[in-house]
Amino acid sequence: MNNQLGIMGKRVWRLLSKQKAVLAIIAMLIVMLFFDTNFYTSYNILAMLQDASVNVIIAFGVTLAVICAGCDLSVGSVMCLSGIITVQLINAGVNMWLAMLAGVASGAVVGFINGFFVVKQRTEAFIITLGMGMLMKGVCQHLTDAHPISSKNLDFMKLANGKLFGTIPNLAIVMLAVGILVYCLLRYTSFGRNCYAIGGDYDVAKYSGISVVRTKWLAFVLCGTITAFAGVLLSSKLNTGSSIYGDETALMVNCGVVVGGTSFAGGIGGIPQSFVGIMVLQLLTNCMNMLGVTPYLQVVCQGIVIVTIIWLDCFGRKRKREAV
Amino acid sequence: MTRRFDLKKIMMDNLVLVVIFLLVIITAIVEPNFMSEANMTNLMRQFGPLSLVSLGMTFVIIGGFIDLSVAGIISLVAVVTVALIDPLGQVNALLIGVALGAGLGLINSILLLTCGAMTQAEALFITFGMSSVYSALALIITDGATLHMTWLTTPQTIFETIGSGTVGVLSVSFIIFLVCLAILYVFQGETHAGRSISYTGGNKVAAILSGIPVKRSMVIIYTISGFMAAVGSVVLFSRVTTAAPIIGRGFETNAILSVVVGGTSLKGGKGSVLRTVLGVLLVTLLSNCMNLLGVPPYMQVVLRGAVLVLAIWLDNRKEL
Repeated sequence: MNNQLGIMGKRVWRLLSKQKAVLAIIAMLIVMLFFDTNFYTSYNILAMLQDASVNVIIAFGVTLAVICAGCDLSVGSVMCLSGIITVQLINAGVNMWLAMLAGVASGAVVGFINGFFVVKQRTEAFIITLGMGMLMKGVCQHLTDAHPISSKNLDFMKLANGKLFGTIPNLAIVMLAVGILVYCLLRYTSFGRNCYAIGGDYDVAKYSGISVVRTKWLAFVLCGTITAFAGVLLSSKLNTGSSIYGDETALMVNCGVVVGGTSFAGGIGGIPQSFVGIMVLQLLTNCMNMLGVTPYLQVVCQGIVIVTIIWLDCFGRKRKREAV
Repeated sequence: MTRRFDLKKIMMDNLVLVVIFLLVIITAIVEPNFMSEANMTNLMRQFGPLSLVSLGMTFVIIGGFIDLSVAGIISLVAVVTVALIDPLGQVNALLIGVALGAGLGLINSILLLTCGAMTQAEALFITFGMSSVYSALALIITDGATLHMTWLTTPQTIFETIGSGTVGVLSVSFIIFLVCLAILYVFQGETHAGRSISYTGGNKVAAILSGIPVKRSMVIIYTISGFMAAVGSVVLFSRVTTAAPIIGRGFETNAILSVVVGGTSLKGGKGSVLRTVLGVLLVTLLSNCMNLLGVPPYMQVVLRGAVLVLAIWLDNRKEL
C-alpha cells in the first residue's frame, strides 16, 4: 500500500517536473487565494486573456519556427510593420479588409526573407532574425517618422475591441481559432509532422526523403504571417500603428515558448505548451499588478522567473545526459 | 587561375577593410570636414565604449556562447559607480564599479555552469533574463531618475580625465582601449587559458574529452565580458557626465553586430580581438559618415540592420 502510494507520488512528480510552467501557474493561483484581490473575477480573467492574446498568437507562429530547430527574433518588428502598413493604407482610403490583408502579406514577405537566409543559406537563425528585426524596426521608423499614427476608420477599431455576447472578447476567440488551426496543422498534416522530423534531426529528415528546405522555409513564412496577423490585431486594439511597440516582444515571446517546454534544440513542443508558457508571464504580471508590486520590481521578478524556469529546464537535460 | 579571380578572393577575404576604405574615401570627398581634427577626436571618443564592450563580447562568441546581459551590466555599473562617488570617494567608487561588472559576469557563468548549459540558445535566454534583472535593479536604485555628475560635491578628477582628457593627439578613452586590446590580444594568443577558449568554442564535447578545462573557460569568458562591460560603462558615463539607468540599452546588439561584422564566427572557435576592432571601426565609421552625409536618422537604422544582415550572410557563405 505504502509502496503503491510511493510509485504514484513518483509518477505525479515526474509529470509535474516535466511541466514546470504548469507548476508555476498552479503555484501562482494558490498564492493568489490568500490575498483579497479581484483576481478571481470573470472580468479579470477575461481581461487577462485579451491582454495576452496578441503575444500568444505570435507565440503560435514562433512555435512553428522553433519546432523546426529555428527561432525568430524579428517578430517584434514584424508586428509593428504590419500594423503600420494596415493603418496607413486605411488612412489612404483603401478598403479595410484589403489593408489588413496587405499588412499580413508584409509579414509573409519578411518571413520569406528570413527563411531564405536561415534555410537556403544556413545561417544562424537567431542572429540573422535579430538583424532582420533591426532592419525592419528602421523601416517602421522611416515609414511613420517615428510618430504613432491612428486610423480614421472606427470599424477597424471595433474589430479587436468588440465582445461576443457582450462578455467574451473577440481577441480571445481569434486566439483560440488560430491556436486550433496551427495545432491541427502540426498534428494532422504531413507538413506538421515533417516539421517535428526536421527539428529532431535535420540530416536524417533529409535522407528520409523529406523536402527539408521547402518545409522549414514554409515554417518561417507561416511564422511571419501569423505574427503580422497579430500585429494587425494589436493595431486594431489600440487603433494605432507605431514603431515603438515590440522592443521586448521578440525575446519575451521566444522566452515564453521555451518556458512552456518547447525545446530550442527543435523537434519537441507544441501549441498547448506555448500557450501555457506565455500565460505564465502574463499571469505573473497580472498577479503582481493586483498585489501592487512596483513596475521595476515586476521586471526583476519576471527576469528571475524566466531564468529559473530555463535553468531548471537545462538542469533536467544535464541530469538526463549524465544518466545515459 | 586568372589574376582577376585572385583580386576578388583577396577582396572577399578582407571585405571589412575594403568597405572601411571605400567608406572613408567617399565621405572624405563628399564632405571634407570628415578629415578635420575635431571629427577625428570625436570619432575616437565615439569609438571608446562600444569597442571595450565588444572586446569582451568577442571572447564569449569565440567560446561558442552569447552574452545579452552587457546592457544590464553597463546600466547597473554606471548607476552604482556614480551613486558611490560621494559617499566613498572616486577611487573606491571606480574600483567597486569595475569589480561589480566582473562579479555580475561571474554570476552569469555560475548560473550557466550549474545548469549545464551547452548551447548558444540556452545562454541567450539565461543572459537575457539576467539582463532584465540587472537593468531593473539600476532603475530601482535611482528610482528611474538620471544621476548627474555635476550634482556631486566631491572631486571627480579621474572621471573627468577619462571622459575628456587627452595625451598628445590621443584621447584617454582611446588609450584605455589600446591597453585593454594589448592585454587581451596577448591573453588570447599566448596563454593556455586563452587558447582553451578557442577549443571550447570549436567543439565542446571534443574539448571536454581531451581535457580542456571547459568550465574554467566559461567562467573566464563571462567574467571578462562583465569586466569589459564595466570598463566600457565607466568610459561612457564619464564622457556624457550623466548616468541614466537605461544608459546601456542597445549595447548588446551593437556589440554582437561589431563582433560579427569583424568576422568572428558565431559558430564559435574562430575569431580574434583584432577582427573585432575592425568591426567596431566599421560600425562607428558608418554612423559618423552617415551623420556627416546627412542621412536621416531612421534611414541609418535601416542601413545598420542591412549591414548586419549582409555581414552575417557573407560570413556564412565563406564557409559553404
